[in-house]
Amino acid sequence: MPLPQLWRRFLSETGEMSRFTGRFFVQGFKPRYEFSELLHQCFIIGYKSLPLVGLTGFIMGLVLTMQLRPSLVSYGVESELPMMVGIAVVREIGPVITALIFAGKIGSSIGAELGSMKVTEQIDAMEVSGTNPFKYLVVTRVLAATLMLPVLVILSDAISLFGSFIGVNIRGVTSFNLFFKQVFDALSFEDFIPAFIKSYFFGFAVGIVGCFKGFNSSKGTEGVGRSANSAVVVSSVLIFILDLLAVQVTDILGLN
Amino acid sequence: MAKKSINNIKLGIFVLAGLVVIIFALYMIGRDTNMFGSNYTLKVRFENVQGLTSGNNVRYAGIQVGTVKRVKILSDTLIEVSMLIDTKMKKYIHKTDVVSMSTDGLMGNRILNITPAKDGYSLAENGDVLIAKRSISTDDMLETLDKTNRNIKDVSEELKMTFLRINSSSAFWKLLSDETLPNNLRASAVSIRHAAVNADKMIADIHLIINDVKAGKGSLGAILTDTAISYNLNEAVVKIQQVGDHADELAKQLTSIAETIKQDVNTGKGPAHAILKDSSIVMNLNNSLSNIEKGTASFNQVMEALKHNFLLRGYFRKLEKKQKEEQQ
Repeated sequence: MPLPQLWRRFLSETGEMSRFTGRFFVQGFKPRYEFSELLHQCFIIGYKSLPLVGLTGFIMGLVLTMQLRPSLVSYGVESELPMMVGIAVVREIGPVITALIFAGKIGSSIGAELGSMKVTEQIDAMEVSGTNPFKYLVVTRVLAATLMLPVLVILSDAISLFGSFIGVNIRGVTSFNLFFKQVFDALSFEDFIPAFIKSYFFGFAVGIVGCFKGFNSSKGTEGVGRSANSAVVVSSVLIFILDLLAVQVTDILGLN
Repeated sequence: MAKKSINNIKLGIFVLAGLVVIIFALYMIGRDTNMFGSNYTLKVRFENVQGLTSGNNVRYAGIQVGTVKRVKILSDTLIEVSMLIDTKMKKYIHKTDVVSMSTDGLMGNRILNITPAKDGYSLAENGDVLIAKRSISTDDMLETLDKTNRNIKDVSEELKMTFLRINSSSAFWKLLSDETLPNNLRASAVSIRHAAVNADKMIADIHLIINDVKAGKGSLGAILTDTAISYNLNEAVVKIQQVGDHADELAKQLTSIAETIKQDVNTGKGPAHAILKDSSIVMNLNNSLSNIEKGTASFNQVMEALKHNFLLRGYFRKLEKKQKEEQQ
């Protein structure tokens, strides 16, 4: 019985992506390493994303605090606001929001960049000139995304908490010291470590999906746009799926 | 190339910032769990740990000093809790300090509180077992509260009944609305005060009397305090006793005499018998008595005649005169 067209496409793409991932691991650990290009990609992917991620993180912290306040006030536990926001930001909001912003910015840029290189046959030209395009273009970008997202998540968490501190102080008065004392009193390694680890997976997913979509784009400039678009969509969905898996794993390990 | 190195520096700063934040966060989180500092273990044993788990905070007089390391079951009624305590606290925590369990806030996490004992006992060393204080659980509290509530209910019902009775009692309200009552009460109070004053005076007098008696003044004092009197009284009693003894003897003798008289009378011996039993003697006695009567009557006549006799008249006149003088 022939499978519907949509299913066929989905399954074949999943298979291709798996092979692509396998290829990344095979090529990635073989010398020679493109260190200089890796640093360059890290700069673009990590450093250049910081303002955007920082801004969203700040707004998220502030808004979350302002939104949580009324319900906490109705329970008379307004003083627990830093604790609640701290846990929410570190465990979930920070990694996921940052990863989504990251997917929107980096996934699309990688997809578009590699897609346009593909359609303009630059990748083929690289191969001809003796440079391994997979190593040079894909491995560096995926590694950069994997390594930079956790750093961005950490910084975003810090900025979010700062935004939350301002949010707390819009309506009430809490000293900076007390706020952070409360946040860190509430936090434990069980909150922090799983969130940190899962952000590596988010980064890897964004990098690999962006590269895959770009590397396999076709049909001229239209294909470039489509690959950029689908890179964002697929990586965003993957982030949520990974988040779901991560919460299951931490639950099984008793870290919740 | 220069741009590239600047970019790398920026990247380095970015990554370092991330590292600094993560290290700071890890340190802040780990500080509370005493992960980065020297610490030592103290133990405490409870019957019931009420949900205490490893990682719960330990406070010494309200200061965060460590965390619960492990909760281990020793037996069905004994659970041992190991606490990781900051080494800095070693010079403050004594072996006799009391550990109690409570919650952080109303519904927060379980915490252990070390209450400082009085100074002067030896300091707790690594692995020492501190004294556990049995904590009051919410269930216990509620149970007591339930009892209290029931008691309050009973009391309030009784109070209600009492008030109802008071309200329905016309005598009470009459008493309350009686305006003469305060005046009477006031008058009574005044009288009582007078009485009290009098009683006071009386007591003072009695006191004086008692003092006098004590000092041996007056007859009562003499009786109570003079030893000579008591000696005399003793002697008197002894004498009375002797008299009694003699009387007893006398009575015995009298009885024996009466016995012999009785015998004599009954057997017809002696004068008593003659007097009591012989009727002729009675006749004779009667005759004698009448003769004596006659004799005395004629003697009276003779005496009257003598008074009128000239020889003796002078004597009787002198006697009358003397009597008149004495009367005057």
